[in-house]
Amino acid sequence: MNHIQKYIAQFQNRIALLLMLNSIFIIGGYWLIADLVRPNLFFSNQAIATSIILVFIAFLSIILLSWVGSKTLSKPMQQVWQAVLHISPDTANTPSPDLTKLGFGRELVTTLITHVYQLASIVDNVEKLAASKTHDLKSDFVANSLPLPMVVLNKDTDILFANEAMLKYLGREEADTVGQNVYLLLDMLFTNEHTFDNWLEKARADKVTSIRTWERVRLNLPEKKETRYFDLVAYYNKNNPDGFEIMMVLFDRTRQYSQDDQAMSFVALAVHELRTPLTLLRGYIDVFEEELEGKLDTEMTGFMHKMKAAAQQLSAFTTNVLNVARYENDQLVLKLHEEAWTPLLKGAVKDMELRARVRGIKLTLNIDNDLPAIGADAVSVHEVVNNLLDNAIKYSSEGKEIIIRSYKTQDGSVETTIQDFGRGIPETAMGNLFDKFYRDYHNRTQVGGTGMGLFLSKAIVTAHGGNIWVRSKEGQGSTFGFTLMPYSELADELKKGDNADITRTAHGWIKNHSMYRR
Amino acid sequence: MSQIFTSPNPIGKKVLCVEDEHFISELYVRALTKAGYEVTVEVDGQRGLELAQSDQYDIILLDLMVPTITGIEVLRHLRNTTETPDLHAKIIITTNLEQREDIRSDIEKQADGYLVKAEITPRELVDFLSTIN
Repeated sequence: MNHIQKYIAQFQNRIALLLMLNSIFIIGGYWLIADLVRPNLFFSNQAIATSIILVFIAFLSIILLSWVGSKTLSKPMQQVWQAVLHISPDTANTPSPDLTKLGFGRELVTTLITHVYQLASIVDNVEKLAASKTHDLKSDFVANSLPLPMVVLNKDTDILFANEAMLKYLGREEADTVGQNVYLLLDMLFTNEHTFDNWLEKARADKVTSIRTWERVRLNLPEKKETRYFDLVAYYNKNNPDGFEIMMVLFDRTRQYSQDDQAMSFVALAVHELRTPLTLLRGYIDVFEEELEGKLDTEMTGFMHKMKAAAQQLSAFTTNVLNVARYENDQLVLKLHEEAWTPLLKGAVKDMELRARVRGIKLTLNIDNDLPAIGADAVSVHEVVNNLLDNAIKYSSEGKEIIIRSYKTQDGSVETTIQDFGRGIPETAMGNLFDKFYRDYHNRTQVGGTGMGLFLSKAIVTAHGGNIWVRSKEGQGSTFGFTLMPYSELADELKKGDNADITRTAHGWIKNHSMYRR
Repeated sequence: MSQIFTSPNPIGKKVLCVEDEHFISELYVRALTKAGYEVTVEVDGQRGLELAQSDQYDIILLDLMVPTITGIEVLRHLRNTTETPDLHAKIIITTNLEQREDIRSDIEKQADGYLVKAEITPRELVDFLSTIN
């Protein structure tokens, strides 16, 4: 840029020099001629002073005229240059040249500048075209080489674009996909009421952009005669200038989810087969207990209770088996609600009373009065208490006591401890006590059990945001403890999230009738 | 065919028990009639649905694994308001079959109660029913 300006300046200087020399020659020539016609005009004594003044004035006017002349002559060039600067992206703040002030060469300059501007707009268009072309090519390329099915929808949820993976997924041609409504092509079934259209409705009402994911969406493809499962990500963008309001990306998980289903259904069926005779056993024991009350001697009554307790234990065991299967398949779901802990804990302890009684063990409850409401999945924490008590009973010897305490800790959470005076746990075994199916070697032969209880209890307590721990001394007994968070703390968490309740992955489906809630 | 069991000391409430395991229905009938309920037992899903739609029951105990149509389908028909406009009975699911979490919560939403049979005794069932009506 600078060298052009320099050139214009040089051009101006040269013209000025040229004009000056020209004028000197003209004046000099005139002087010589005048001298020839009238000798001594400049050399007479009185004329010398006048001549010097005249020559001085002549030089001054020559310089002035040359300067003005050169300026006028180079003006059109400067104007054209200014026009170039005006359209150049680097110097776009240069004003457009004002041609009204231009006298000399206005027509030429106007034509030239018009051409410059035209040229510039052509270049501009070509550049824009090239850019948009590469953009289209790029997005098409990206979308089509994306192995994930993807669709872009407009405001009416009609399909504006479907990539190749999507067409293949649906088994359709582009021509009979684009322009169709997405609900006609994707018959989606969601696992709960938080569906795609619910989300979209909410997003449209109060969001500018929104993004959401769904898991295990079921899709029926009647044309392909198959059912597929996928995880879905959808993105909403209000008032997108190109009309792309919604984008959906599908992650097909059919293989994984159907395998999970099969694995689960095997366990579920096995448990069902176990549960049917168990229901009958418990039912008939119930009848006997009712009918024979007061008719049996102490020993027989004891046997009856042992039978009942054993059936109860078996029922709890089948539930544990299911829980582990669910946990392993990421299907353990906890729904945390505001619960009063005292009645919950009392109910869970009462459930275990018979089992303790038939082993000659006394359960002592010691619950503080000032416990805050906790955030818990009632059925699951009931199970935690049952599992910990079950262990305490197993590892206690006849005639001993088990003390259940519950109190508020310094940080405001609710801690519950279950203390037994049994054989205790050797130090070497303490580290992996909560691992799956871990049972201490020397206990293996003496006490039954699968070791699932502690593993599950830990999963459930952790999912509640609490801790589970153990203190033990061999020969003196063990204390298991766990904490649960007060509901107020969870309520803060609730406000932050979009969910109506906190759902965490872990268990939650055995509904004990005594804790049934709607 | 369905069988009706009356109570020696009726309280004027009728229970429909859709259950194909005879021993289980026997236990439930015993405990329920003792508590004053009149109990109708039906082993078949389709016939159970027809009986339920006659709207003469206060409580429907619905097993999920029953012949012809499943308990889930029976439930769906009963909750379809065009088909069954105002059913006054409380529907309690009684099952030993575990569902996937999403299916289960869907069933729970439609039913008035959900019980795992292996986890309750017949007398506990009676206690439970007295709390919901």
